[in-house]
Amino acid sequence: MKPPAPAPATAVPPNRDLTAGPAHSLVLALVGSGGDGIALLGDLILAMAARQGLYGVMVQSYGPQIRGGESAAIVRISDREVQYEGDQADVLLCFRLRDLKRFQGSVRLHPGSVALLDREEAGELPDWLGTTQEEPYRFPFARFEDGIEVEGPPKNMLGLGLLCRLLGWPQALAEDALRQRFGDRRERMQANLEALATGLAADGVPSRPAPAGKGRGLFAETGNEAVARGAIAAGLKFFAGYPITPSSEVMETLIEELPATGGRVVQAEDEIAAMGMVLGASFGGVPSMTATSGPGLSLMTEMIGLSSMAELPSIIVDCQRAGPATGMPSRTEQSDLYHAIYGGHGDFPRVVLGVFDVVHAREVMVRAMTLSERFQLPVMVLSDAYIAQRRQIREAETSPRQAATRERWNETSGPARFDLSSAHGVNPFRVPGDVGGTYLAAGIEHNAEGYPTADTATHQLMNEKRFRKLTAIAEETRDAFRTLGEAGATRGLVAWGSSYGLLREWVVAHPEYRIFLPEMLHPFPLEAFTAWRQGLEWTGVLELSFQGQFHRYLSGLTDLRDVKSIARSGGTPLTASELDRYLSEATT
Amino acid sequence: MKAKDLRSSLEPVWCKGCGDFGVLKGLTSALADLEIAPERLAVISGIGCSSRLPGYTRSYAFNSIHGRALPIASGLKLSRPEITTIVVGGDGDGFSIGLGHIPHTVRRNVDITYAVLDNGIYGLTKGQASPTSTEDFKRDRGLAGRGERPLNPVLLVLSSGAGFVARTHAGNLPHLRSMMREAISYAGFSFVHILAGCVTYQGPQYGEAIYQRCDMLPPEYDPTDLGKAMEAAQAERFALGVLYRRPPDATPPWGSGDPATAEGIWPALGSAEAKRELPAQG
Repeated sequence: MKPPAPAPATAVPPNRDLTAGPAHSLVLALVGSGGDGIALLGDLILAMAARQGLYGVMVQSYGPQIRGGESAAIVRISDREVQYEGDQADVLLCFRLRDLKRFQGSVRLHPGSVALLDREEAGELPDWLGTTQEEPYRFPFARFEDGIEVEGPPKNMLGLGLLCRLLGWPQALAEDALRQRFGDRRERMQANLEALATGLAADGVPSRPAPAGKGRGLFAETGNEAVARGAIAAGLKFFAGYPITPSSEVMETLIEELPATGGRVVQAEDEIAAMGMVLGASFGGVPSMTATSGPGLSLMTEMIGLSSMAELPSIIVDCQRAGPATGMPSRTEQSDLYHAIYGGHGDFPRVVLGVFDVVHAREVMVRAMTLSERFQLPVMVLSDAYIAQRRQIREAETSPRQAATRERWNETSGPARFDLSSAHGVNPFRVPGDVGGTYLAAGIEHNAEGYPTADTATHQLMNEKRFRKLTAIAEETRDAFRTLGEAGATRGLVAWGSSYGLLREWVVAHPEYRIFLPEMLHPFPLEAFTAWRQGLEWTGVLELSFQGQFHRYLSGLTDLRDVKSIARSGGTPLTASELDRYLSEATT
Repeated sequence: MKAKDLRSSLEPVWCKGCGDFGVLKGLTSALADLEIAPERLAVISGIGCSSRLPGYTRSYAFNSIHGRALPIASGLKLSRPEITTIVVGGDGDGFSIGLGHIPHTVRRNVDITYAVLDNGIYGLTKGQASPTSTEDFKRDRGLAGRGERPLNPVLLVLSSGAGFVARTHAGNLPHLRSMMREAISYAGFSFVHILAGCVTYQGPQYGEAIYQRCDMLPPEYDPTDLGKAMEAAQAERFALGVLYRRPPDATPPWGSGDPATAEGIWPALGSAEAKRELPAQG
């Protein structure tokens, strides 16, 4: 697999027929420097879209600088649910052309794109951006005195005014969004409102009408917020974590929202301690979880084995980033799959789930909680930077669905804590405080009572008991997958996690393909996968992992001869044009 | 209530004459003195000879992984404050692999008692040097780490800001029992340094020789004086007794106190479950 190169701009996609009224979807690329407030501008556009009942998604790209440096936000708004930001911008707003360079490969134009640029900048758009037949619209964003840029009205608010004109959105909508954001900061509000009005009053702004919304408000949240809120809905009561990009907002959201439901959050001294606290709370009968990224997952690994061995329910959310070691912390990848499924010493059962998008992030937490609590083992939830950091518009409410809880021991429910004969390997959980329920939980191999043993036969029987959980889980979750495309398609793609968003749209334009995406990565819904493969003439496994971890993992489960691996390292997410190119290489 | 009410049926694997027997006896006696019922008690450890101790108690016991007992105990206590939570372990478990957790547990002031049997050697892995092994001992036995100075656990815990620090010796059962009783009663993080020898890798006389280097704190000693405690911690001879007891903080420590008002998270306060779940102690 070759590394991704910027694809050439293609023809205007079908939904961008500029003569046929508003498009179903519009992609805005916003580019600036630190201090320009690009992220805020993107947030506001998305909030205004949600307010009107439009769907949308925003992804951000920024450099390693803590503050300053170039920053880009790509916002897509649409009249239908989207989980993919598209790979061509209909509108480019850029305050300084030199800031564009960093986003080569992530920002591209098509022949109908319009660029909003600073009036004082004479430069031309770089070739790699793709050619547009539209003249750029130039506006005095920057203010100069004696040729030196001085502080003027906030550029992002000038830009917001221009974009409102371009999209056909009323001034009141923008003012409401600003008020919601800055309500009590009057000085800032005043300057913002003035700049907004200046932008709105500009002459000759090109028109790119936004699609019409549903008229009722929708709701925007990030993947990390959705994970946190899904966990709360599922019954989470204790969280311990350690800050790490790109997962920190899971903890930050829980700090805000978990205490109100009677739960507690602890910021631990490191990931080992975080996972230890999770197990301590779980030992106490409390539904518990942590969230981290690759380096943290590595540190937690011994504890995850303990969770399985001592049969303590736990949830570990891993927001994957490009690795190994420090890797590229803000960039996405799907390369923690091996670690999640195989990581750790010894044989122990664990469950691994994949997250498809922001909406699914809430749902998957309910499944994670149900499986961990009912089967008393660690459940890993693999999100990634692409889902974690994106903001996506969704239906406002999903009915909160509390997860199943662990079966509770009482004096008459009897078996020893680690009784070997239990159905599915699960015995009622003894909660501290239960009279007569005292026992020894141990990471050391133990007999039915929990007492240490080094007996070969007991070790074998205990492993059999613990792994019976996986058999039961596999049976229960055999439908935990999604398929896309028509049943009669003869080409197949297998993918997982955040590839879902792209593939969901891509397959519509490629009816010769159908797609299989497991939610349960381990244990894998093999029966359904085998049935799905019937009738396929060509199959590929698509992923962001240099080694092709998913392809190799599947090869260990079933015969994958003649199945192609379509894999590259992470960094930027896959785009439609990139996928087209890979497939044309792989199928010829 | 008697000490044996808090013992499980499991027979210890410790060597004859091991100081761990004293710790087990002293701890269960102190808990019996305080009328802590087995179901209200959690005893948590990492890995090592002394970390086998939880299995010998009748309690919600947890023999976890090397060096990580403090975070596990913190997670339990912070979510179930009505459970009396004790951490036991050795010097390798606590002061080598697990050292990083000590100051953080101290600064959170989690209401747990941490008792360390410190014999200055790794017994379970058969006689390697520990962070508290003396330079003389390492030289005499040809162990690794010659030229590396031993760590002073009491000074470390004091300087981390612990509110209760005591030292005792595994061979003086009445004293050990009384130190454990005071530590468990203290509202906040409490630390008990228990000196001992390893009969197998240091010989039967070593523990006694250490005891000869110990002095009881004089009656006039003021345990609320942190400066004096720091001095005692650095003295050539080992001072036994309550070295430091800070008056309880105005704000109660995390996970302490009366279950009815404690900041626990489960069962939900005031819920029917909470009332059912929290029988009167004793």
